[in-house]
Amino acid sequence: MSENQPTKPRPGVCIPWERKREELEPIQGDEQVLRKAWEDVDALGYTYVWFCLLAF
Amino acid sequence: MASVTEEQFGGFGMSNEMEQLYAQRLARYTTAMRNDKPDMVPIRPLVAEFTAKYAGYTCQEVTDDYEKAFAAARKCAADFDWDAVVPNMVFVWAGLVKAVGLKYYATPGTEIPADTAFQYLEPPEDDAHMREDEYDLLIEDPTGYLFNVWLPRVSHDVVRPGEPNTYRNNLSFVKGGMAMMQYFGGLGAQAEALRRESGTVAAIAGILKTPFDIMADKLRGYKGLCMDLFRQPDKVLAACEALAPHLLHVAANSADPLRQVPVTVWMHRGCMPFLSPTQFEKFFWPTTKWIIEQLWSQGIQTLFYAEGEWNANLKYIAELPERSIIYHVDRGDIFEIHRAVGEKFCLSGGIPNDLLAFGTPDEVRAYCKKVIEGVGRDGGYIMDASAIMQDDTKVENIRAMTEATREYGVY
Repeated sequence: MSENQPTKPRPGVCIPWERKREELEPIQGDEQVLRKAWEDVDALGYTYVWFCLLAF
Repeated sequence: MASVTEEQFGGFGMSNEMEQLYAQRLARYTTAMRNDKPDMVPIRPLVAEFTAKYAGYTCQEVTDDYEKAFAAARKCAADFDWDAVVPNMVFVWAGLVKAVGLKYYATPGTEIPADTAFQYLEPPEDDAHMREDEYDLLIEDPTGYLFNVWLPRVSHDVVRPGEPNTYRNNLSFVKGGMAMMQYFGGLGAQAEALRRESGTVAAIAGILKTPFDIMADKLRGYKGLCMDLFRQPDKVLAACEALAPHLLHVAANSADPLRQVPVTVWMHRGCMPFLSPTQFEKFFWPTTKWIIEQLWSQGIQTLFYAEGEWNANLKYIAELPERSIIYHVDRGDIFEIHRAVGEKFCLSGGIPNDLLAFGTPDEVRAYCKKVIEGVGRDGGYIMDASAIMQDDTKVENIRAMTEATREYGVY
């Protein structure tokens, strides 16, 4: 699957954390903190394109 | 009456009088929406370009500069005794449209005259935003499809993956994203300003379209979708089912966190003659019903904005959970609708836009009285025009509608 075609993401998700996690070096700190930061910002990307479709 | 300090009202700078007015209006509005009887019939006019006309702006000014659109809405809220208004019913901000490079709007002052409301441009059938052979791509990954196929097609600036990157492509995402954050941040502040300045409730929150409407409007186009209903009906159904969880997610996450005001579903392709009742039952209704039921299970009401004539579909609408929707009546017979589903749902609207544009204040008052007496006598009715009001609505008729609501709408 190409980088432009993420693994069938759930609503609210562009690039799932599980997929991003595979790209990272071993995480030295708290993975959940990083995961939350990733998912919170990833959701903004999701919001962007769906708001373009629905609101504008 | 003495004013209180800002701290006592969370720093909003609200006077005690204004806070009491807001609380009174919020209670009136939400009680009616739950199909109960408040102290009087609430009034919640869906005023769009009317606000520009009233405030002295052109359509271009309120479309290009959302602060002027916000100011116009606040001026109307301050000058008329309305319980609730939409913070900005001129929802297309040209700044964002141009930043993203969207092709499908004609905005006033640019592609159309400055005193004309913005227009949606449906693409020709042979140049639809989604091609007839792209259903599987959409169904497999709706979000990926939007980014990789749809957005490059509807934007002058966004390039498809694999094509050479451009300066304009990069700018589209940076400017579009930041503009969107700015606009929605402004909308939150606008709701607070309505409350603080005039004690007016922000009438709705959140964004929702039905899967079928979004397929018709922004993806296949209405003509293309109609052909697909016959040529590849299973794909249409699968696409609606693929879109539904996403539309639900966006609606639920943009809804009022306090669950006081509804999310609006703006519908227009589901009614006759766009769809026959048989097509409605098969293609439009299942995913629409599912989304509304899911929202209701989370405590979120839906303002069921049924643009056009929907009376042929009343038996389906009656299937929805009691109080889950506020049924907004456009061209349907509001008295028939009240008889059919008035026990289950609050109704709103039903005052014809042509009457508000071309009638006299006396005619408006008489019609409002008839609707209040026939539909609102036991509560569960919100005064409004049939459809959103543009700049053809007469100021004196809006005033008559407002005064009639207060005169005849007291319980």
